[in-house]
Amino acid sequence: MSKEALVEVKNLQTYFYTEEGVVKAVDGVDYEIYPGETLGIVGESGCGKSVTSLSIMRLVESPPGKIEGGVINFQGKDLTKLSEKEMRKIRGNDISMIFQEPMTSLNPVYTVGDQIIEAIMLHKGVKRKEARQQAIEMLQKVGIPLPEQRVDEYPHQLSGGMRQRVMIAMALSCDPQLLIADEPTTALDVTIQAQILELMNSLKESYGMAIMMITHDLGVIAEVSDRVAVMYAGKVVEYTDVDSLFEDPKHPYTWGLMNSIPKLDKDVERLEAIPGSVPSPLNFPEGCKFNTRCPLAEGKCFTDEPELIDAEAGHKVRCWRYKDLEDIKARGERIYADQGVKE
Amino acid sequence: MAENLLEVKNLKKYFPVKAGVFKRTVAHVKAVDDISFAVKQGETLGLVGESGCGKSTTGRTILRLLEATEGEVVFEGKNIMELDKNEMRAIRRDMQIIFQDPYASLNPRMTVADIVGEPIDIHKLAKNKKERNQKVEEILENVGLGAEYMNRYPHEFSGGQRQRIGVARALAVDPKLIIADEPVSALDVSVQAQVVNLLQDLQQEYGLTYLFIAHDLSVVKHISDRVAVMYLGKIVELTDKKELYDNPLHPYTQSLLSAIPEADPKKKKDRIVLEGDVPSPVDPPSGCRFHPRCPKAFDLCPVKEPEFKEYGDGHFAACHLLEKE
Repeated sequence: MSKEALVEVKNLQTYFYTEEGVVKAVDGVDYEIYPGETLGIVGESGCGKSVTSLSIMRLVESPPGKIEGGVINFQGKDLTKLSEKEMRKIRGNDISMIFQEPMTSLNPVYTVGDQIIEAIMLHKGVKRKEARQQAIEMLQKVGIPLPEQRVDEYPHQLSGGMRQRVMIAMALSCDPQLLIADEPTTALDVTIQAQILELMNSLKESYGMAIMMITHDLGVIAEVSDRVAVMYAGKVVEYTDVDSLFEDPKHPYTWGLMNSIPKLDKDVERLEAIPGSVPSPLNFPEGCKFNTRCPLAEGKCFTDEPELIDAEAGHKVRCWRYKDLEDIKARGERIYADQGVKE
Repeated sequence: MAENLLEVKNLKKYFPVKAGVFKRTVAHVKAVDDISFAVKQGETLGLVGESGCGKSTTGRTILRLLEATEGEVVFEGKNIMELDKNEMRAIRRDMQIIFQDPYASLNPRMTVADIVGEPIDIHKLAKNKKERNQKVEEILENVGLGAEYMNRYPHEFSGGQRQRIGVARALAVDPKLIIADEPVSALDVSVQAQVVNLLQDLQQEYGLTYLFIAHDLSVVKHISDRVAVMYLGKIVELTDKKELYDNPLHPYTQSLLSAIPEADPKKKKDRIVLEGDVPSPVDPPSGCRFHPRCPKAFDLCPVKEPEFKEYGDGHFAACHLLEKE
């Protein structure tokens, strides 16, 4: 992509100062989001995927959290340097966000209409009557039946899928250039998830906005992303376009994630499970952070942290042994030994 | 063919909805509404459906953690709905359950040894404390936790390890049937696979029979021999897993399968996106409960409830379209 990036995150570090010690939730993360594309961020709980997005929105609670270093370029401005007042103009206007649990992000004592109208009046400076009209139009666009009626209902009167549609309507009401979606479908049933993903894809096209899709679900990633960043323990470990990622995963962690989920169209006797669990952010291991679970880890992996390097043009990986993994894959072998009873 | 270990016949579980000053019953939530199925000795039957379809209620009603409104549950030829409290306690030795949330289902004040040992004490399976602890050690070993964990408390463990403790507790009494209620859905993807593999290993080793309840069709497909699909308190389709995925008969099963996002960007599926939400089980739609969302519904569907019938070799479904053909 030769276009100029809409958002450029460089060496972002967001730390939390807790009583037990410093938690480096995001520790040197780089990525770009281009206009009109969807960047998928995938990782397991505690990998720092949500904290990167909260850092862009400057919504990291401080204290205990603090953006310790790095740059977030958005339209020529470094978001980490803006004052709270300047940031408020960007939030909800240029960058919007939707969350996993729509009920906790909607105010239960206001009608959904009031909440959308508030955002429109605040950012667009229009009169209430006009804003109400726009709110109804937005509800219609996100596929809510009888929007003239629904606009005066309270969040508890809507189902989970409908609430998420309301959140999307609110997020898009000011034509943002970037929509950050943090696990938007995780709390929903699969048939409702399919509806929401379809809606997001069609809105992305009609609005021409960029989406940052944060999820733990590789299926959702494959469905909506153009490019993907895989995160583990506060770092990006693999970063490339979606087709290369799924065709040729280069990091042992990505490889393990893909093989640990059962596929509908393929029968395997046993799943390839990654041993152990994510280390506590209070004591990440020396060297590569994945070395406690990686079957390929040896010598250098335990002492030196690898850099995120170009394995191929446009395919970055953070691993000392990605070439060895390629040989193993070429031989058609498994790298994760049979993980059954033993951990 | 193996014998049926568990038979569920016309099981119903209604929850009363109470309202007004006198808390009169004004309606019923028909969580499970007349379902029948059998689980064969040594197999894994998957029970899948979306939230509110009644799959967990089914599991709990079978164990009589909830009392059924109507119907029979026959375990090894005995209708356990008729047993008294003492007889029921004895039979629970053979039927155990694993819960979804490994954080909520373990008592935080008890050590691992006591959590796993409690069922052994209740069923008097050990002569003395030493023998009990020996047993606990053995079981922990079998689920991949060393004996060094015995005197620790649940908060010291990760989610995956806690779920292993939950499995160990279920195994402690040497059961025949384990009802696993969403055992992996609270776990991270990489840890899910560990627990799924563990459950499969233990099934082999102990000759266990599983009723595996989950909303995730890919996991259910991986672990089950046969799969039952539930929608709004009813089983709409039941067959072996290969047949279900290759040849789904019910429109709900078809749309459910097509809705799963697959981890393969090359594959663009012809998705059947269902309209609307799951209706409330308090006032379910007339006739076939799926008809308001069904892309293939016709005039008979809102009027008459379809029968749950066999359409070739153990493939059951309830749909008027199939009867028409």
